[in-house]
Amino acid sequence: MIWQSLPARNLDRGELQTLVDGLANEPDRWREHIAFEGAQRHYVSLHRDEYVDVWLLCWVPGDDTGWHDHDISSGAVRVVRGAVRESNPRIGGDPAVRIVTEGGSFSFGPEHIHRLAGEDELAVSIHAYSPPLWRLGQYSIDDDGVMRRASVSYADELRPLEGSLAAQAESLAARHGSLAA
Amino acid sequence: MNRLRQDEAPVADIHQHLWPESLIAALRARSTPPRLRGWTLELAGEGEYAVDPGAHDADDRAELARSDGLDLALVSLSSPLGIESLTPAEAGDLIDAYHEGALALPEPFGAWAAACLTAVDAGALSRELGRGFVGLQLPATALLDRAGYENAGPLLEVLEDARLPLMIHPGLVARETADGQPAWWPAIVSYVQQMHAAWFAFRVHGRPRHPRLRVCFALLAGLAPLHGERFAARAGADVAGDRGVVDPGVFLDVSSYGTRAVDATVRVVGIDALVNGSDRPYAEPASLELGPAALHAIRSANAMRLLYPKEVFDDLAIASRA
Repeated sequence: MIWQSLPARNLDRGELQTLVDGLANEPDRWREHIAFEGAQRHYVSLHRDEYVDVWLLCWVPGDDTGWHDHDISSGAVRVVRGAVRESNPRIGGDPAVRIVTEGGSFSFGPEHIHRLAGEDELAVSIHAYSPPLWRLGQYSIDDDGVMRRASVSYADELRPLEGSLAAQAESLAARHGSLAA
Repeated sequence: MNRLRQDEAPVADIHQHLWPESLIAALRARSTPPRLRGWTLELAGEGEYAVDPGAHDADDRAELARSDGLDLALVSLSSPLGIESLTPAEAGDLIDAYHEGALALPEPFGAWAAACLTAVDAGALSRELGRGFVGLQLPATALLDRAGYENAGPLLEVLEDARLPLMIHPGLVARETADGQPAWWPAIVSYVQQMHAAWFAFRVHGRPRHPRLRVCFALLAGLAPLHGERFAARAGADVAGDRGVVDPGVFLDVSSYGTRAVDATVRVVGIDALVNGSDRPYAEPASLELGPAALHAIRSANAMRLLYPKEVFDDLAIASRA
């Protein structure tokens, strides 16, 4: 088992990236969970233990997580189908944006703030977090450009209410296409 | 089984108690504990307890359940009474009385079946489940070691075959723990210790024997899941290669805990394992400040995954994405 080869401690971002890259090469572990139905991301918990949790995310066009951080967790993302857009907020300017395509991966520490969106139709990505996601920081920006952070359960990100995240992202995007001051 | 859609996904409370009139009559007919004298409950381990008659009025409780926003409220036999461990004849009379009354409760009630543990009868359980119980509740005290799992094994196999869940609830408290202790002692100390032990006993003895069983531990299993670091530090060779993988067939009800303890448990096992249970009438539903997504998971989605086999839930999940 791939999990049993992991050290019994929290993983750093490099180890998480190695993990998601390794999982990408074992599609038997996740292929059956790929699903695109309806207008929302589809989330499958592939594994969770004391030290790491791993998710498969299926993105449809328009999916957008909104700005968030991962509190004390590091993370890594590997795109296994299509492309995903990652944006990092920049105060007083347009966000830093990169498109990660199939076969690409990236990692981040707990200081990282980003938003992810499906760039291609039917993108699929594998995500690993250590320690397992617990609480997230969710950011909003008011009409004066003042940014606020709300601490939310990771359920708001990965077990959202139907429509809530999409509506939230839509309203955020409509009001604040970027963090430009 | 009907297909479920999220917009119809019921809000559930999987942990309530309500003594139907038939059970009250059977308890009053007894001359030794557990028994009722009027509305005074006599228990071997916990002394006397003044029962609130209104707490067991089915119509009032149905109204209360609706005011709690529930579409489904599951009642169970009060396992701390120790009924399951009476002689087969005594246990049989009381359990039959409970079953008859529980199945006749008005909506939104459903019920967990009970079973005698001094003469395990898998066929009887199978017949009772076929009458409409959602699963089986057993006392934690019956599932603390290998002997307990050997004794209850045939019942748990019935559940696995029927793809119905097990609820593990505190059981009878030993008499000596009541000496000089306040009335709250069993709920805060004894029950918590029982559930803590039952959580680790399931890990050691239960899951290997019953790989398909879905199980729910009452009261966050006495916070046993928070002991993962201690387990890693102290379990020695037993822990080699054990990363504390979260078991997707294991659930925890939140009864009598609040935001802090539930959030701490989420940190360890994740949101998917938590299920709404209030323990009414002995406690009230907690106000959990965890946000709407977590509350939906606890009150609805996770309860459905506990109660229904995976293929039914998959339909629910697919509908939720539509």
